[in-house]
Amino acid sequence: MTIRKLNIILIAVGTIALVTLFWWLSADPTKDFTVNLEGADNRGEGVAFVQDVNIGEYFEEFSTDYKPLNETWTNFRGADYDNISKSPVKLIDKFGPEGPKIMWSVELGEGHSGAAIYKGLAYILDYNEEERADRLRCFSLLDGTEQWSRGYDVAVKRNHGMSRTIPAVTEDYIVTIGPKCHVMCLDRETGNFRWGLDIVKEYQNEIPFWYTGQCPLIDNNVAILAAGGSKMMVAVDCESGEKLWETPNPNGWKMSHSSVIPFTFGGRKMYVYSAIGGLLGVAADGPDVGTILWETNAWTHSVVAPSPLCMPDGKIFVTAGYGAGSMMVQLHENNGEFSVEVIDEYTPKDGLACEQQTPIFWNGYLFGILPKDGGPLRNQLVCVNPADTKKVVWSSGKETRFGLGPYFIADNKMFILNDDGTLTIARPSTEKYIQLDQVKVIEDGHDAWAPFALADGYLLMRDSKTMVCIDLNK
Amino acid sequence: MRFSLLLSLGTVSAAALRKVTTDDYVWQIDPFKCTQCGRCATECVMSPSAVKCVHAFDLCGYCDLCGGYLKPDANARSTAAENQLCPTAAIERRFIEEPYFEYHIDEDLCIGCAKCVAGCTSFGNGSLHLQIIHDICLNCNECSIARVCPSDAISRVPASEAYKVKGSWTNPT
Repeated sequence: MTIRKLNIILIAVGTIALVTLFWWLSADPTKDFTVNLEGADNRGEGVAFVQDVNIGEYFEEFSTDYKPLNETWTNFRGADYDNISKSPVKLIDKFGPEGPKIMWSVELGEGHSGAAIYKGLAYILDYNEEERADRLRCFSLLDGTEQWSRGYDVAVKRNHGMSRTIPAVTEDYIVTIGPKCHVMCLDRETGNFRWGLDIVKEYQNEIPFWYTGQCPLIDNNVAILAAGGSKMMVAVDCESGEKLWETPNPNGWKMSHSSVIPFTFGGRKMYVYSAIGGLLGVAADGPDVGTILWETNAWTHSVVAPSPLCMPDGKIFVTAGYGAGSMMVQLHENNGEFSVEVIDEYTPKDGLACEQQTPIFWNGYLFGILPKDGGPLRNQLVCVNPADTKKVVWSSGKETRFGLGPYFIADNKMFILNDDGTLTIARPSTEKYIQLDQVKVIEDGHDAWAPFALADGYLLMRDSKTMVCIDLNK
Repeated sequence: MRFSLLLSLGTVSAAALRKVTTDDYVWQIDPFKCTQCGRCATECVMSPSAVKCVHAFDLCGYCDLCGGYLKPDANARSTAAENQLCPTAAIERRFIEEPYFEYHIDEDLCIGCAKCVAGCTSFGNGSLHLQIIHDICLNCNECSIARVCPSDAISRVPASEAYKVKGSWTNPT
């Protein structure tokens, strides 16, 4: 081969290589890619229609005949906010061959709102799907005779049910929060209207996904409400409707499905709330009432349904579903100053976690049902020591799984409701799971998630559309 | 002539009818047994897999916060790539009206990884689920996914009932 030919080949190869290199450098392998940007779903801008709601506008009286009883279940998780009944009434531990003694049942609008009970009267905030209205309905606990109802028109679309909250009841007042954050205060016995508060209009908050789940708190005749929006928490005098204090919301935290829990630690009474954005404690008394005593943004998840579980030593257990898991924090007090320290945080498969219900603190241990993403122990009732909530002391076993339904303790028995309306009685224990009985209460039950209410041995429970009263007296 | 044509037509029709009513079997996933392990995406002889996500609209909650569409604790409930759970953006999200959103699967983009199925099953109604798509599936004598499925969710089913779509098909147990 001559040098000339070799040069021609080298020049040709060099030219081809140069062209290839130029093509390689200039070609865009991603030119056919579609960039995923926000807004491709054509989401609507803000709230298209804000309804002018006249809270408490309708009242109907059906009966004044009921038998007064002695006991109460005044609010979400009972009077002590621990979901443990202190009633001395002896309850059955087995249903017997004839099954549960159902006293009465009533059809409700689709939802998960629970009842409160006061001396023979049961109260539940229902959503009337035909009239498109929130209705606080009052029933005789013994026979289910409806006494009266008061409510207001509000358009609520079906979104995994409509109703979700439990009224707070005292001797004199009832306070409710509706699906779209409408607060209503009535005279307890007569249902006479006292005052209303539209939290969205007043505080420009965002209604939580699937509507309000926060249950109101009445403390010394003052309604305590977590608003989100322009104010974090507000206190309203039940008698007059006057706002007594408003806690600022400098962080812009939002309303969650969690409820405000009263707690006393380090010589201070406070209201603990698990907001969307963080966890905080607000002074419940003293000259600085309504101010933030402590806060942490370490606990921030997009959906939080369970309420904070406060323990006497200052530990606070917070948990949530949708992959969030749990966190244990330790509250410290030093000369009246509070600080909060994160002790532990983990995913739902690594320890006690709950999606909707708040765990129970009993005899120094925590009890709760793991969510569906809880790993091998998913949907099982588990017991853990607060010192290490990742170490499961016992679980109910892979043959005994539950759902998102409620559980509570009464007369040294734990009652657990499954999604399909199956009621289980277990013996609370820190050593092992002891099942006493199990019975299907609601035929063809569905989404039985509302918390229980118990008074005078009568248990109120519901699925998405039916509430039943069971006589558990021994 | 007419008789011959009629006979031919009848023979073809009978053959076609026999094909759809015969006891042929195809592979299919029982969505109630599926544990969303992700192996359908990696074990199928087809690339991408013949397993795709399907959506039972009658079960869907049409939620804004969709566990099948959004990553857990996503920064925003938007269609931005960083918020989407699907690695191939195979789920299209459309706003219907407050508070509802509709979700569609782009079958060409879906690789059958089941990430969305796991999210929907854990946090929603379980309307997103996996199915073997039969115009893609080669119907191998020994399904390579069935061999490794940890929950024995894949089995042969009659070709006349080739799909187990949630909603219209209910778990027999």
